[in-house]
Amino acid sequence: MNKMNETEGGGASHQAGSWPEVAAAIGKVWWSFFDWLAQVEWKRLAVICVLLMIFLSILRASHLAICLILLSLGLKVLAGGKRKAELEARAASSHLDQESLERRLVEAQMAVLQAQVEPHFLFNTLALIGQLIETDPPQAARVHEHLIDYLRATLPQMKARASGTLARQITLSRAYLAIMQARMKARLAVSIDVPAEIESASFPTMMLQILIENAIKHGLEPKIEGGRIDIRASVERNVLQLEVIDDGVGFNPRSGEGVGLTNVRERLHILYGTRAQLVIEAPAEGGTRALIRLPYTPDIFAGGAV
Amino acid sequence: MNPGLHATALIADDEDAMRAQLRSRLREAWPALEIVAEAANGVEAIALAGQHQPDIVFLDIRMPGLSGIEAARMLFNRCHLVFVTAYDQYAIEAFEQGALDYLLKPAGGERLKTTCARLQTMIGKKPANIEHQLSALLAGHGGAAGTAAKPEYLRWIQAVVGTSLRMISTREVLFFRADEKYTRVQTQQSEVLIRKTLKELADELDPDEFWRIHRSTLVRVDAIQEVTRDLRGRQMVKVRGFDEELEVSRGNAHLFQQM
Repeated sequence: MNKMNETEGGGASHQAGSWPEVAAAIGKVWWSFFDWLAQVEWKRLAVICVLLMIFLSILRASHLAICLILLSLGLKVLAGGKRKAELEARAASSHLDQESLERRLVEAQMAVLQAQVEPHFLFNTLALIGQLIETDPPQAARVHEHLIDYLRATLPQMKARASGTLARQITLSRAYLAIMQARMKARLAVSIDVPAEIESASFPTMMLQILIENAIKHGLEPKIEGGRIDIRASVERNVLQLEVIDDGVGFNPRSGEGVGLTNVRERLHILYGTRAQLVIEAPAEGGTRALIRLPYTPDIFAGGAV
Repeated sequence: MNPGLHATALIADDEDAMRAQLRSRLREAWPALEIVAEAANGVEAIALAGQHQPDIVFLDIRMPGLSGIEAARMLFNRCHLVFVTAYDQYAIEAFEQGALDYLLKPAGGERLKTTCARLQTMIGKKPANIEHQLSALLAGHGGAAGTAAKPEYLRWIQAVVGTSLRMISTREVLFFRADEKYTRVQTQQSEVLIRKTLKELADELDPDEFWRIHRSTLVRVDAIQEVTRDLRGRQMVKVRGFDEELEVSRGNAHLFQQM
């Protein structure tokens, strides 16, 4: 709660005149002088005093110089120490902010590593493979292969460094969607429309997957008749836009954001600042449309991304 | 164990492969058990149970429409229930504690035989009253997902942007500010107007997430970077990543007293 504590600003209110703007300007100059005074070293202050003395005596205003110097020294002695401590504390706290940003990045990465394979998904898929081995061995082999692809891309220990391309992310999601289609059958239709020429673009890991899993879990699985999911990517004016659209049950404005979306938002912010965006929309025809916009980098060295 | 005892059953699971699996395993474990119907969701399960009056209903927990546990609440006094799940740690613990019968997918082997033997001793008897256990399970299940325990506050702001309805997570919002008939929703990247009044928002939002610092301002507590006093002695709130400062009215100054 220490951030909520007030910063001391006393001693300035008497300067507020009838023109608040002028007063604010004077106040600003005064406080920056005061801050400088608090932080400046005594040695340097002494040199400046001597120079000021010489300069003002040339202008025949030595008594003004003496007044100014006495005032400065007095202020420095009386209030300088406290102000200096305060300024240092503030600098330290902004340093802390920086540290907490870095810590949040690590935490976000950790969370994404942990949040990956949902046990529910894994056990259900294994149960399905078990059944298919008896009834439809070729289909069992296909689902089994998709599961391996999915796990290879998802399990933290197996994460390849060069996984941060759009192509890689789409391969992972195709494997996942193929498994979900084997389970949901006619209840899940999928279309993926990503132009081949932008597949080499770098794209942070697991973000597409999180949007797709959300669409299925919150949109389509709860819907009795199921529905469809459309994945589209495009580039316009160097902005890569990736959309995941479902025609599921839509969104409950009172349900929490969930770990997945928070994670996507946090990582986008840390990686791209305000140049990236996660937008969630509720189209008039129902369902949910989620899209990520980020700077387009057709990068052959992709993989530096988180 | 009496595999020759005739009884009827219904299987409810949204995946048809899983229904087929249970059906074939039950045929081995209890040949005289007749599967009278299969349901692909909770709503269908209740309708078919009403139509066929089975002795036993096998209920998958995760199903669209109504979950297995919700469906169980409507069926428990009419038939014997067995829950089926691939993985649900919380539910499994609750089943153990409440002495409810359950199977893990893929169901089979000794475990299924035990369940069948137990069911056979119960055929013809009145099903146990498990309403209490089911209610607890429903409450807890919601809680595990992070929703049921707290009152439900507004978590998404709906705003018309262009021709679409945008959903803005409250976690993105820096502050809300009354702007004549509208309310301005400020995020780090955008500023949109919504028709909801600040008063309505204040009633619907989590009071621990947003504080009312002024008649016309609701600020997200987590977004507050610092509170300073300006030259006229007013408290001003600075939010992270945004330049405009927000005034704290005197009536709300107590929010930021030194602690």
